[in-house]
Amino acid sequence: MASHTTADGRYDDPTGESGPIIEMNNAKVTYDGGETFVLDDVSLSVERNEVVGVVGESGSGKSMLASAMLDAIPDPGQLSGEVLYHRPDGTTVDVLELSDEELRQFRWEEVAMVFQGAMSSFNPTMKIGGHFEETLKAHDARVPEGMEFARELLSDLYLDPERILDSYPHELSGGMTQRALIALSLVLEPDVLVMDEPTAALDLLMQRSILTLLEELQQKYDLTMVFITHDLPLVAALADRMAVMYAFDLIEVAPRDQLIGNSGHPYTRALLNSTPNLDAPLSEMRPIEGQSPAPVNVPAGCSYAPRCPLATDECREVDPDFYKTGDGHRTACHRWEEARERITLNFETAGDGAGSGGSEGGS
Amino acid sequence: MSRPDAFGSAAPSGRDDEPLVSLDGVEVHFEKEQGLFEFFEEPDTVRAVDGISLDIEENDVLALVGESGCGKSTLGKTTIGLQRPTGGSVRYRGQDIWAAKDGVGDVEIPFDEIRSSLQIIHQDPGSSLNPNQKIVEILSQPIKLTHPNVGLNERRERIYSLLERVGMNPAADFADRYPHQLSGGEKQRVALSRALLMNPDLILADEAISALDVSLRVEMMDLMLDLQDDFDTSFVFISHDLSNARYFAEHGDGRVGVMYLGEIVEVGPAEELIEDPGHPYTNVLRWATPNLALDAAGAGEPPVRKIDVPDPVNPPSGCRFHTRCPEARDVCREETPELRGEPGGHQSACFRNEPDHKYWDSQPVED
Repeated sequence: MASHTTADGRYDDPTGESGPIIEMNNAKVTYDGGETFVLDDVSLSVERNEVVGVVGESGSGKSMLASAMLDAIPDPGQLSGEVLYHRPDGTTVDVLELSDEELRQFRWEEVAMVFQGAMSSFNPTMKIGGHFEETLKAHDARVPEGMEFARELLSDLYLDPERILDSYPHELSGGMTQRALIALSLVLEPDVLVMDEPTAALDLLMQRSILTLLEELQQKYDLTMVFITHDLPLVAALADRMAVMYAFDLIEVAPRDQLIGNSGHPYTRALLNSTPNLDAPLSEMRPIEGQSPAPVNVPAGCSYAPRCPLATDECREVDPDFYKTGDGHRTACHRWEEARERITLNFETAGDGAGSGGSEGGS
Repeated sequence: MSRPDAFGSAAPSGRDDEPLVSLDGVEVHFEKEQGLFEFFEEPDTVRAVDGISLDIEENDVLALVGESGCGKSTLGKTTIGLQRPTGGSVRYRGQDIWAAKDGVGDVEIPFDEIRSSLQIIHQDPGSSLNPNQKIVEILSQPIKLTHPNVGLNERRERIYSLLERVGMNPAADFADRYPHQLSGGEKQRVALSRALLMNPDLILADEAISALDVSLRVEMMDLMLDLQDDFDTSFVFISHDLSNARYFAEHGDGRVGVMYLGEIVEVGPAEELIEDPGHPYTNVLRWATPNLALDAAGAGEPPVRKIDVPDPVNPPSGCRFHTRCPEARDVCREETPELRGEPGGHQSACFRNEPDHKYWDSQPVED
């Protein structure tokens, strides 16, 4: 496997004034004693107060990326590499080095996580209020103040605090439970919120409403967010920066507008074109041919080469490193310049970097 | 009108001048389960579908959109005779489906024949396929039912050619697998094949693509539309995503119907309905549909006053959308707007489409 990192293990991600809060370096998750990769040497840094959207199809390893950030890989998976967390006070910890007790505190108090399917995250025999109290007690937080904050969070999420706290999970709609879960994840005032498909299984209107609310929460409480989903257009509404995963590895990372308007990876461009949306001419929406590889036989060379219309012998033999393809934009494709020219985007981007030029059809 | 099925024999048909399926004032009300001590009280009634009339023709496509709990699945199931309506009638080629079931009056088309002409594919293909049967066994059953005289070899041949047609190559390899050895998209193709083997006139696709990755949805919709041409079926396509409904209805030359709390509030050709929505709720669904255009990419405030749907047990009076509608005025609380517009064309149920309505002199609703 070709390494995707430069000599010092870092990328030239633009570091804002505040600097990164999480730096994941060469994270690798293996099963079967190293035979099966489900996360292949991934490096990603998250800036303080930004929203990063991680997009990938089912089975691309995106949930593993989320779990790796909190060192929560399901057994018997083995995680190696480095996940650095920079505390607001300037100290830095490697999450993978933490003891069990330190990890338990880290997970709720500094980085919180929301999974899909809120129903299964709540205990069905306990009222929602009970979950808040238990969480506060387990982390030695003062309950009255904590519950006061819980009420504020619930009303931020357009919920009636007294009614919700006094309800059992089954008494609430899917959208309400999911919002209650988001409030619960924030009750200990973490700095980072990692969300894995937090709106899956909800209808579109509720998904978009929750996204609007997340944006408000992010600004109100200065949160850093990592939002993982298969739904590119959904997270595009919220993300400052986006990262695309394919076959257990990141293949493109860029600021939102760059990724949508001027992506350099043929897979990203195909993904954008395959998305049904209200404005694209119907005749130009087309599916991506072929299937993504299983974790056991990832092809040598670029893992997208078997499905890529631009693939050459080089692509089939040499796994591409990241190329710098713009400001804060990196793309793992040998033929990114050609991709931009030859794979035309089928929607109006109307904004900077909307250079979808090229008159030839892509496939 | 008779047409050849997959085996070349003619499918039976009723009266030619009747729509394929016709719903007239259909109501489906469910009584909520009661506790022991509430025995003598009036039961709570969930009004899942309330007074809907619509026709589905041969080779027709109707895409139903709406939020969770708006009654679109119940309406779909009522349309194909899986759910008995508590009011109104459902006719298949002029034959009342439930009269056929109960043997009331002159039954021209037997219930069994109606049921096999109206098929369903579910959202979760995993749980609709028997996990203990190979694909070839699952697909043999409908052939045994519809063509009891077809031999083993011909049956296999049929199954293989259909599997190839839905893009599962090599067919012989897939036919010998069990459902758990297939991906979500492949399972959905098997479910679609099984429905098609019954030579249906109408297939209800109930959120059939919602569980698939965004990038696979267009492919699955294309497949369903291709097969619609080959097999001459109509589709009722249920989705919560307006962009999918648009794609399916526009390609299938059909209509989009927007449902809210048991009622159809707007129906019409996809492009017209999206470009020029006649109901504020359609506009809300439009807002909810992600857009890649960068100037519109940010979500912004939703165009509703409340983000949660009201309880369908006691739906709001007047226009049911008035509790969330940004345009609601006092009159909307009291009077119920009717579907207006060209019958069979673009229709919507909102007072704002009537320039002379007293809505315009009414005061905005205050929360």
